Order: sequence, then C-alpha cells, then structure tokens
Amino acid sequence: MRSLQREPALLLALLAVTALVLTFIVYPQLQVVLTPGPGGYVQFFQEGTWITPLRNSIQLTLLSTTTAVLLGFIYAYAMVYSNMRWKPFFRLVGILPLLSPPFVVAAAYTLLFGARGVISYGVFGQSPNIYGLNGVWGVQTIAFFPFAYQLIADALSRSDPRMEQAAHNLGAGSWRVFRTVTLPLSRPGLGAAILTTAIYILEDFGNPQLIGGTFYVLPTQAYSLISSFGEYTSAAAVSTILLLLALGLYLAKVRLDGGRSFVTISGRASSMPRPPVSAAVSRACFVACLALAGIILLVYGALLVSALTLRFPNNLQVTAEHFQYVLSGTNGDALRNTLVFSGVAAAFSAVFALFAGWLVQRGRWPGRGALDLLLILPAAIPGIFFGLGYLVAFNQKWLDFVDRGWLIIIAFVFWNIPVGYQAAVAGLRQIDRSIDEAATSLGASSLRGFRDVILPMLGGSLRVGFVTTFVRAVTTLSLVIFLFTPPTTVATIRIYQLVGDLNWGAATAYTVSDISMAIIALLIFALLARGRIALGAARA
Amino acid sequence: MPETAHVRVSHVTKRFGGVTAVDDVSFEVPKGSFATLLGPSGCGKTTTLRMIAGFYDPDLGDIEIAGHRVNNLPVHRRGTAMVFQDYALFPHMTVRDNVAYGLKVARVSGADRTKRVDETLAFVGLGGLGDRWPNQLSGGQQQRVAVARALVIEPQVLLLDEPLSNLDAKLREQLRVEMRILQRRLGMTFVYVTHDQEEALSLSDWIAVMNAGKVEQAGAPWEIYYHPRTAFLADFVGAVNLVPAKVTDLADGTATVSFGRHRAEVRRPEATLNTGQDVQLCVRPESFTIAPEGAATSGISLPGTIVRRAFLGDTMRYWVKVDDREWIVDQPDPGGSATLDGPVSLSLRPDRVHVIVE
Amino acid sequence: MTPELDRRRFLKLAGATAVIAACGGAPAASSPSPSTAASATASLAPKATGRISIYSALNESTNNQLFAAFTKATGVEVAALPLAAAGDLQTKITAEKNNPQADIFVGGSSEFHDPLGKQGLLEAYQSPNAKDVQAQFKEASGLWTGWYTGIFGFISNTDRLNKDIGGKKPATWDDLLDPVWKQRLILPDPIKTGGGYIFIATQIFRFGKDETKAMDFMKKLHPNILSYGATSPGVITSISNGEAAGAPNWSHDILTEKAKDPNRVDLTVPTDTGFEVGAVSIVKGTKNLLGAQAFVDWVLTKEAGDLNTKLSNRGSVRTDVAPAPGAPTLTSVKLVNYDRQWATDNKTRIQKLWQAAVGIQ
Repeated sequence: MRSLQREPALLLALLAVTALVLTFIVYPQLQVVLTPGPGGYVQFFQEGTWITPLRNSIQLTLLSTTTAVLLGFIYAYAMVYSNMRWKPFFRLVGILPLLSPPFVVAAAYTLLFGARGVISYGVFGQSPNIYGLNGVWGVQTIAFFPFAYQLIADALSRSDPRMEQAAHNLGAGSWRVFRTVTLPLSRPGLGAAILTTAIYILEDFGNPQLIGGTFYVLPTQAYSLISSFGEYTSAAAVSTILLLLALGLYLAKVRLDGGRSFVTISGRASSMPRPPVSAAVSRACFVACLALAGIILLVYGALLVSALTLRFPNNLQVTAEHFQYVLSGTNGDALRNTLVFSGVAAAFSAVFALFAGWLVQRGRWPGRGALDLLLILPAAIPGIFFGLGYLVAFNQKWLDFVDRGWLIIIAFVFWNIPVGYQAAVAGLRQIDRSIDEAATSLGASSLRGFRDVILPMLGGSLRVGFVTTFVRAVTTLSLVIFLFTPPTTVATIRIYQLVGDLNWGAATAYTVSDISMAIIALLIFALLARGRIALGAARA
Repeated sequence: MPETAHVRVSHVTKRFGGVTAVDDVSFEVPKGSFATLLGPSGCGKTTTLRMIAGFYDPDLGDIEIAGHRVNNLPVHRRGTAMVFQDYALFPHMTVRDNVAYGLKVARVSGADRTKRVDETLAFVGLGGLGDRWPNQLSGGQQQRVAVARALVIEPQVLLLDEPLSNLDAKLREQLRVEMRILQRRLGMTFVYVTHDQEEALSLSDWIAVMNAGKVEQAGAPWEIYYHPRTAFLADFVGAVNLVPAKVTDLADGTATVSFGRHRAEVRRPEATLNTGQDVQLCVRPESFTIAPEGAATSGISLPGTIVRRAFLGDTMRYWVKVDDREWIVDQPDPGGSATLDGPVSLSLRPDRVHVIVE
Repeated sequence: MTPELDRRRFLKLAGATAVIAACGGAPAASSPSPSTAASATASLAPKATGRISIYSALNESTNNQLFAAFTKATGVEVAALPLAAAGDLQTKITAEKNNPQADIFVGGSSEFHDPLGKQGLLEAYQSPNAKDVQAQFKEASGLWTGWYTGIFGFISNTDRLNKDIGGKKPATWDDLLDPVWKQRLILPDPIKTGGGYIFIATQIFRFGKDETKAMDFMKKLHPNILSYGATSPGVITSISNGEAAGAPNWSHDILTEKAKDPNRVDLTVPTDTGFEVGAVSIVKGTKNLLGAQAFVDWVLTKEAGDLNTKLSNRGSVRTDVAPAPGAPTLTSVKLVNYDRQWATDNKTRIQKLWQAAVGIQ
C-alpha cells in the first residue's frame, strides 16, 4: 500500500481505472439488476419459468465448452507445436467463425444440414432434425472453438522451450513432455481459456435462438421476454441469474489456478527451439485441421452463394443486386460505422485491459481482488443487458451533447475487457517480477516501466485483446440493439432488420461484406503488427 | 579512509505473515567500500538488500542512504541500482538498449548516452557486442550486461543480489576478480549478497554474517575469519575445528584451557570468563604443522593418526584422530612428495587458538 | 529524478475526458432526401413542421415508402429507427423514460402499446381521424390507436401439400390433428414468439376459455409438429424451402411470400382464428407534439391505409380501405372472441401449462 503512496502518478492511474470501471461496468449493470425490485424478483422466481432454461443452460454450456475446448486445443496444438503444412491457411480459416454475426450463420447451417439442407437432403437424402440440444451443441462447438483455440494457442506458445527440451533430454517422448511439462505450465492460460469460452457459450443467444427449438436457455428466454412480450422486468431477473452463474464460473477458475504463478519468461534469455514433434503427429494434426476447416468453409461458402444468387437454394440465378443494395446509400454507412466503432473500441479496450491487468497482477494494494472480479464480469453479462444498462444509465438530458456513436464505442470497450484482461494476466504471470524491478531499479517509475518494458513484452496479449474485441464488436447484435440510432446504425442491426424482413439475399450479402471488411482490417492490422495475427501467434 | 556511513540500516525488522525474515538488524556501510551480506538461505540477507533498494518496506526501523532517510522514497528515486541474480535483462531490447535504458529515463542526451554506453560496455569487456540480443549471449556475458546497465547510471550505491551464483566455478572466480577491480577503480559503494563465504572473504572490505534474520557478526573479513564470535560463524566461514574445552585458569590477557588430555595457554577473549566455564576452541585447519610421528614439535603438541585425506590442489587436507576426536588439518603446498600416513605429530601455535564464549 | 506522469497514461486520461467532452452533433436524420414541403392542407390549427423520430416495428420494405409518403403529405421529416420486434421497441421506450428519444411508436400489436400507456409513458391524443375507428381497436383516452389488422392464417408449401397431404388444406385448426400431418407442421415457438403464443391463446378462446381442452389440443398437435420456429417470419421461409408442409402464421406475411412465387406457397385461413391490432402511439415527452399528432392523423387516413396494405398486405381498421388481393378481412373470416387483456395477463401461466402439456421440461 505504501508503494502507492510513494508514487502519486501510479495512485492516480489506479483511481482513474477504478473510476472508469465503476462508471462503465458497475453503474449501468446496477440499473438493470435493480430494475425488477425485490417484489419483481420474488414474483419471477415464484413463477418458476427459469428452472428449465437454467438447467438447459448449464447442460449446454458443459457440453459445448468441452467439445469447443477440445477442438480448440487440437487446433492450437497443431498450429503451435506441429510441423504441419498450410499453417497460414488454417490460421485464416480459424478466424472466420469469429467474424459471424448471429442469426445468419446459424441459418446457413439450416440451409446446409437442415431438413431440406443442401448437404443433408440434396446429397445424402436425409432430413435430420437439427433443432434442439444436439443442433445447438454442434453449432456452438464450431462457432466457439476458434475462441478457445486463440486463447489456448497464446497460452501454449508462452511455455518455455527450455523446460520442454530439458524433459525431452531426460528421455521423455513428445507426448509425455506435453502431458507432464507443457500442460501443467500452461495451466493458468488454459484455465482462462476454458473459463472464457464457457462464459461466451453461456451467454450465446443467436445460435440457441435459431437452432435450439424448444431447448430454451437463459439468454433466449431473456431475449424473448423482451422482444416478443416486452417484459423487461422478468428479463432483468434472468440477467441476474446469468450473472450469478458466471460468477460461479469465475470462482471455479480461481480455484483451478490456485493462484500459482508459473514464471517462464525470466530475464535470462533463451534461444532454444522446441523439441521436435513426430511426423505422424504432424500428419494427424493436418488431417484434423483440414476436416475442421472444411466444415467452416462449407458454411461460409453457403453464405457467399446465397449472397450471389436470387433466392438460394431455390433460385440459383446469379445476381449482383444484393450487393448493390447493401453497398448503397445508408447501408454503406452502417458498414463504415461498424469498422470505425469496432476499430476504435478495440484499440482502447486492448490497451486499457492490459494496463488494468498490470495494475491488478503486479500491484500489492487492498481491493485488488474486487477489481479483478469486476474486470471479468462483463463477459458474464449478456450483450442485451449490457446495452440496456447503458441506455438506462446514460440516456440523460445532460449527456445529450455526446454523440451516440461514443456510447456504442464505450459499450464495446468495456463489454470486451475480459478477454484482453485475461490475456494480459496470463501473459504477466509468465514474466518474472525481476524484469519490472530492474526497470524501476534503473530509475523508471512504475508507470514508465510498464510502458517501456512490460507493454512491449506483452505484444501477444495486446494483439489478442485487440483482435477479439474487434471481432466481437463487429459481430454483436444484442449489445447495440438498444443503443443505436439511425446515423449510428451498424451492420449487425441492418442484418437483423433484413432478416426480420425475410430478405435473405440482402442479409447474406451484408454478412459477407461485413466479414470481408473485417478480414481486410485484420490483415492490415497484422501487417502493421509485423506480420502476425494474434491468433495462435507466439509471443513477441 | 572515508568513514562516513553511506548506507545505514537502523533497527530494521521485516515480517512476512507469521515469519520474521529480518529481526532488528542494524549496520553501517562506509562510503566507497565493498560490503557483503553473507549467510545461508533464508537468513534474511536478500530481504535486507531489497529493503535498501525499496522493493520491500521495513515494518520497523529506518534506512538511510547518504544521510537521507529513504523509507518513503520509491525505488526509482533512491539513487541505488540493482544487479539481479538472473540478470533480468529486457528481452526485447538489444544489449546497447538495455544498458542505455537508465540513461534514457534520466533524459541523458543521445550523443552523451551513446558515449557513456560504449564506455561502460568496454569497461566490462563487452565492447562490440552492443547490437546483440540477450538470448544470443552466454551467461557470463549476460551478467556483465546486467552490471554495465546498473553502473552506467552512476548510482550512489550498487546493490548486487548473488550475481555470480548462476555461473560455473572458473567464470565465477574470474568475474569475482574483475568485480573487485571494478569497484576499486570506481570507488563506488557496493552492497553484495551471497551465500558463498569464499566469495565474501575475497571481495569484501566489510562483511555482515546473517543467520535467521539477525546479524551475527559484522566486520572486516579477517576479523570474522579469525575471531568469530559464535560457533555458527566459525563453522560457516571456512573449515574449522570446534573443540569443547574448560577454562582452568585466568590471567591478564591469557587464559588456560583444557581439552581432552591437553592443556594450552591461549589469548583471552574479550567476553567475560570464569574459571571452570565451558567454552569452545576455534582452530583453523591451516594453523597446524603436520609431521611424521616423532618429529620435533612446537607449541601445543598433539599426537594422532591420519584417518583419511583429501587433495585440494593447493592443499592436502588430513583428518587426524587425536584421542577420541578428529581434527581437520591442512598441509599447504604438499608438493610432489610422498603423502603422510599413519601416526603423525601435530604442532599448534597457541596464538592461533580462538576462544568462543556463547 | 522527478516523478513524472507517464505521457501515454496522460494521453489516455485526456482521451477519456475528450470522450465525455466530445461535441458530437445530435443524431442526424436518416430520412430520404428532403422532399418539398408540399403540405397543402388548409387549416386554422398551427401547422406541423420539423422532424419526428419514429420507432417502427413495421417491415423494412414498408417503412421507407410509408414515411416518405407522410413527409410528402405533411412536410414533416422522419428519422426512423426500425426494429422488427415490437418488444424491443417497447423496452427501449421504457428504458428511455428519463429522456425520451422517440416521438412516435408505430407498428406492433396493441399488446405492446398498452402497457406503455398504463405506465404513463404515452401521450394521449384523440385524433379526429379516429372517430370512425371501432372502440375495440383503440384505447379509450387515446393513448394508442389501432390502424391495421393482422389475421392469423396458415401457409402451405404447395408441392409438399400435394405430395404428402393429398392437397387438402386445413379448414379448421382441428384438421391439423389429422395423422397425415405427422411431423409435417412447423409452429412458431410459443415461448419465443408473439405469433406462437397468439396461436395458443386463440385455441383457448376457441374452446371458450377452457384451458384443459386447449391444452389437450396442443398436446395432440405436438407429435405433428416437426419443429418450433424461432421467429414467425423464419417459419415462413422454412415452409417456402419445403422443410415442412405447412405452418400457422400471419396472413399478410404469407401473402408477401406468395407474391414472390405463387406456385410455391399458398394461404388459407382456418375458421375460428385470432387476429392482432397494429397500433400507433405518441411517446410522452415528445419534442414535436404537433408533428407526432400529424403522423397519427395521417396514418389513420385512407391514403396511408391503402399504402400500408399495398406494401405489407395487412388489413386496415378503416372500412374504406380495400384489402390486399386474396387477403382475409375481419368480416370475411370467423374470428374467435380474442380477449387481449386476458391473454396478456395470463401469458406466463399459459406458457407453463403448454410446456407441461407437451412434455417440454
């Protein structure tokens, strides 16, 4: 604590961060949580409509997280460790599901694998019922394994090759090295990856909404309560349940970590390569990744075809009219808004998350644990409530002069803090404190040391934060539904409106444009960051 | 000799949870001296060093540097610089940038900076390696970069936390010498922490030996070596024979002690002594002359039998059984002559016997 | 060495402050290019001018033309915020009550407007054009006024209907219990969609509020249902794609789909069916009351009614507005006695009953 008193700039920074967190994370959510009032909560819980969705949510989350993490792990291992070919291709394909706005991609699955699906019916003559638990499970696995892959790859790539070489040297085969050295050392990062994936799956609503059928989960229940019945109060109660669940997940994660720190980047530099992986393993990795990539490409191919044909899958006449419609007039504005809002928010969010992560991880001041929790919390809040909270909290007359675009940007920033923050924490855990200390010992204040030494070393975490925030901002619908105004419309809102109008051609054209734009933006970012997209890249 | 205390630690205590790591420690380090905190693992030496640096806050007591109380100063404003055990080089900066970092922070101009960095790199023998990356250097080179980085900013006090413990023996010896020369040339105050007593003895002007959070004894190396105040100290620093004895007679400046069948008149220590008191005799292995049985002896004569021996290069070490006790006896420069064996005769000068009263 | 605020950190703090201090303009209008103010209505009352902000639950394709026509007729410009789910708009208006952003809430069944009125979030207005509207289609004090109707019908995929069902369209809802429909129906999900719930409520009213009989019906219907669709419009697409043979849904949307390819799908309206009343209301705290009132007046005109019907195939509360070709009207089909208030109040309980009845737990 005294260390804070001795560096007023640090104290000021800490207060600023805390103030921002309280203002933009806690305060809006309080608005939502307090809305039903005690009477409202009692009534809602007595009605008991939440029991089934709660049970379903838990079941679905367990299933989907397991498979998504498993696939993500295979993909991450293949990318980081194996020597398989075509890695840049797999890297790109691994991003695609991240860039999907809700609704439309789930619809693509229906088009391909549904009762009259092009593949299921057209090729195999089957009419599977893809609705329900199994359908959502499958869709979520594919949709979320890239998140898991990204975080796991980051954790794996940070493990010190020297440790692995040492084990290898002692006679351990690749598998044993991996199992007994790499895995345990990466535990904090893996734990964070699993937890984050689980929370995203828990609050996912687009996929269960479209494919869940009568398998109701909490987010779909909340969404329906609002959209179909205007019951804001009950919906707020559902949000509270979701919050509590996420809290539980967070506490589980803390237990899992055990608070241990596995320092593997010390000031003693090492230039050792990783121990070799057998060719058979590399080949197996290649096959697995190819299979996964194949499924993904199929889905996005369907989208593209739908965007380019009059009425997929019935009328396959090629046309450019959907794209023309999408890129014209105010529709083009929505695309531009998406790019600008998401880009700005991603930059802010990544840096803020990193700085907050450093403050919490490296500091020794009271209340750290609370701030840690608050910074993870937004991941647990469904976008629809996060946005709603912002509306209620900040739709005040005296704030009218602030352009609504900023409100959306700020919402993007703080809703996506958890990923950048987790990445920062995982990264920091693996940097020995003596590096910080060396900087201060040489005359740099704590903040200066952060900027000169820690920040550059956490390039990987920064990239993870930026890219994830960017893609989540580009694809979120629920967050912006209540915050947008006509001039600040974003692409996902337009897609939602078009889908509501049953204009699939335009909706898919919009989606394809949205995704393409995001990919181009990411490629530019990768070029600027010297050739490495954050997904699965090794450390700086 | 400049006697002003450059670093003063006064009644400093530090607790971690229920453990008292540093217990009411006080000492002063004169300006320009090479001071060492020596002790086994867990004795509190590193904790003390880190409190001087400012990484820990003392629970009690004061720390002064150059006459200013620094308790409330943050690390980066104390005028100290630290060399870490694992060097803590910044992996994303070249050697040159690593060394230049402190100067950059202090806003030293570019040209000036380059000059000083180049000078310091040459000083530590790394001239020409400025553009390498830390992971391209050997351990010894990395250590030198760490030292250069700390030196170049010309701190008031240089703090070193076991900087040589990760290096091999030969390199350690070589760097030890270099470090001593460096310190002498710069006239900078060094505070050095190590568990290696040989290192401490050879490098330091002044040593504080710590054990379980307390300073057992502080002073010049030979003081500690020849006149240790406790058995622990005697044993920790160098090989030693510790023999229980009884005081049989006291005189002005001398005391007569009896051990086993033998009796000797030795220098009387400063502590209070009473006749009949139990004491310990501290005898260094090199204090003996060893000769085959029957040879002429001088001083205290101890006949015994060689039980085993070890060749240490410049010394032959014997374990000699005298009565029911094994004594460690060193024979310097054994040469190529036949080693001794069997019954021998030991001569011990009485003035080399040090009495420990605890 | 002096303590220094890290420059980067300073910039970040400054940036954050700048965010707050950013002088952005108020949301600009996204209306089509400014049309000529051709309002020629001679009136002694003060003329409506300026711009109104409309929260619209109408279809995208309806909005643009409808609002353009309004602007042309009155000179009042429109900034439209379209969200097809009326519940979203209702919630947004509720959440914004401290600083209302909307002037008009249009579209969506009256079930969404009514609660807002009861919470005091609407501005009462008795439009002169509303005096001919039946009492059951408007709120007594003028908090909301109904202006279009939607009748619940049935869409069938012609191809599958002929192949699998022998071409026989359902004349009553009970016809759907026939085993020939097994796994060939899609129903909008009663938990997720308003349409699905209205279907159940319709059954209850059909059986004279006998819930047991209604639940029995739903239970018997359940095995015939291939899947419960997530959105009502989505169900229409599914039928059009041939995923199932038919589905209950909104007639006007079915007609719109049919227009794309008349040979693909068809509309029938079984007897004893339900309906909705689409409403318009003025949000309390509106900054342009005259403009808002002008909109309400206009939307109740024949011109607006005709346009809406043309664009969306919905019916009108005005008797002088011709229905869309092939569309059912309130008089041409037999409607159940739909107690809107009862349906809203008992929603949660009925949904639970349904879940228990069909074994979805």
